[in-house]
Amino acid sequence: MLTYALKRLLLWIPSVVLVLLAVYALAFYGAGDPIKLIFLREPGGVAFDPVRIEAIREAAGLNRPFIVQFGNYIWNVLHGDFGNSLTSGRSVGRTIAAAAPVSIQLGLLAIVLTAIVAIPLGVIAALRQNTALDYAILGSALFLWAIPAYVAGPILMVLLIIILPGGSVPYGWGGLFDIRVILPLLVLSFHPIALIVRQTRSAVIEVLSEDFVRTAKAKGLPARKIVTRHILRPILTPVLTQLGLIMITLVNGAVFVELVFGLPGLGRLAIQALLNSDYPIILAVTLIASVLVMISNLLIDLAYPLLDPRAAERR
Amino acid sequence: MATAIEPTGASRPAEQAGLWSDAWARLRANRIAMVGLAFIALLILIAIFGPWLTPYDFLTQNLDARNLPPSMSHWLGTDELGRDVASRVIYGTRTAFLVAIVVTAISVVIGSTLGAIAGYFGGRADAVIMWFTDVFMSVPNLLLVIVINTSLKPPLGRWMDAMYLWSGNTLFRNTVLVDFIMVFGTISLVMWPPYARTVRAQILSVRSQPYVLAARSLGLPSRQIILRYLIPNSIGPLVVAVSAGLGGAMVLESAFSFLGVGVQPPTPSWGLMISDGLRTWQQYPHLLAAPAIALAIASVAFSFIGDGLNDALNPKGAK
Repeated sequence: MLTYALKRLLLWIPSVVLVLLAVYALAFYGAGDPIKLIFLREPGGVAFDPVRIEAIREAAGLNRPFIVQFGNYIWNVLHGDFGNSLTSGRSVGRTIAAAAPVSIQLGLLAIVLTAIVAIPLGVIAALRQNTALDYAILGSALFLWAIPAYVAGPILMVLLIIILPGGSVPYGWGGLFDIRVILPLLVLSFHPIALIVRQTRSAVIEVLSEDFVRTAKAKGLPARKIVTRHILRPILTPVLTQLGLIMITLVNGAVFVELVFGLPGLGRLAIQALLNSDYPIILAVTLIASVLVMISNLLIDLAYPLLDPRAAERR
Repeated sequence: MATAIEPTGASRPAEQAGLWSDAWARLRANRIAMVGLAFIALLILIAIFGPWLTPYDFLTQNLDARNLPPSMSHWLGTDELGRDVASRVIYGTRTAFLVAIVVTAISVVIGSTLGAIAGYFGGRADAVIMWFTDVFMSVPNLLLVIVINTSLKPPLGRWMDAMYLWSGNTLFRNTVLVDFIMVFGTISLVMWPPYARTVRAQILSVRSQPYVLAARSLGLPSRQIILRYLIPNSIGPLVVAVSAGLGGAMVLESAFSFLGVGVQPPTPSWGLMISDGLRTWQQYPHLLAAPAIALAIASVAFSFIGDGLNDALNPKGAK
């Protein structure tokens, strides 16, 4: 088990470095001269003084070769320093630290909601396979999957405003216990719920044809016990594999949901940075999101043998 | 998924029917998939014959007729510049299908080539390619596209300008072309990994079949074994992936256009129209509703077809 964990970890580190390298190289060669980018933003059109530019370049180490600068960037990132924003001049680390809690809280809540709603629905659909109830659950899942967050968000908002008196608009962020969190949370959970309902349903259908389920039925175990004792456990592994995919849908969803509902999270930060070509922020948000997805993939890899001892032997 | 498989005697084809006619018969028996297929066929017809369907140009502005509600002369009303919304939705259909088809073609070629190499040769090639695929899949695609767009679009624009000065060819002055190159490139870049995985998994299972062993022992070169035996026999799951991918590419195009990193105005795109409509949805909900419903129909229809194809091509998996 320990050697397996170490092996996964050793494979994981080069993956993270590759992402870092690719994203950094794109910004390094594509973005243009960072000093000119800063000067272009200065009000009053400060003249391009070649001597001054050269001095800043020298001081910031921007005339050194790519690999040295990349090494420096990684070194700084490891120390929590992502550089400064080109627009506000503030530290990127602080800007992100201010925005991250909003996205992380909303994301975690969406995962909890997905687990509570989607797994039971998937199990029910599988147990009532090919009945009207099954079709209704599957159809709704397909529908939720097909509606993009930036369409579902505004439409739900319109409906809510028509229904609710007083014209209160569910816009903005007031913490997890604020009433305004409900709509963004729902919209953010649509895709993960659709994904997990379908995944759970097909996993349960597969398990239902196993011999041990037949045995359990034959010895007269009540249906509720068969589900809790014999079905939920083997479906855990295939459902959990979707966590990486869910993380990606959550990151994508966060961008739209935060934009539509005006939440001050990482997604909106990324979009604002995009509009301003604020590279340090785009770079940092992309890195954090990718590393987050990769960490969840690593955790799944590490959890496999614990959940399913057969998987450990196969590897 | 086993949504509506109906293995009735009537829909069963004759015994000598091949894989495809067999699958088609099963697909035809699947009502949900046929509904999806009908909607896609309708949208394709609209995309092809769009210019003849509408009396208005998608660019013509009529400032005396701004923000009109739907009426007989303007089926879906007009937008804030007095442009006919129905015409823009129809031309948006063209954009959506153009992007979906080109992007899917590019990413299927990249993905299945890499997947076939990895699956067939195995060993180190497999390890490296699949590692690369996994890393690609763990970068959230929206952010990847944003990074690529912000960093590569300005240099591409400069390069096009330089090429224009050098060659005098007005093709290089076409900014719509730059937009579409970026859209095709970025969406293909995030769409290929699933195809690579699908093809690799399929090849791995086909590779160990006796007929492949026979072909190899007859001394057939690798390239021919891949082209003649492995790819044709692994095409079923790829077809399912493609039908899901077409819908996925369409949704991504509108998502990126919505965020301003996709198709640029004034080229009509559903995502752009949704983003415009969001600004005034309180007063003019039809401006938001028309493109949003069009996108939802296309996306739902593609997933219906994908599920139907999945059942039709993998009869063993559907119980």
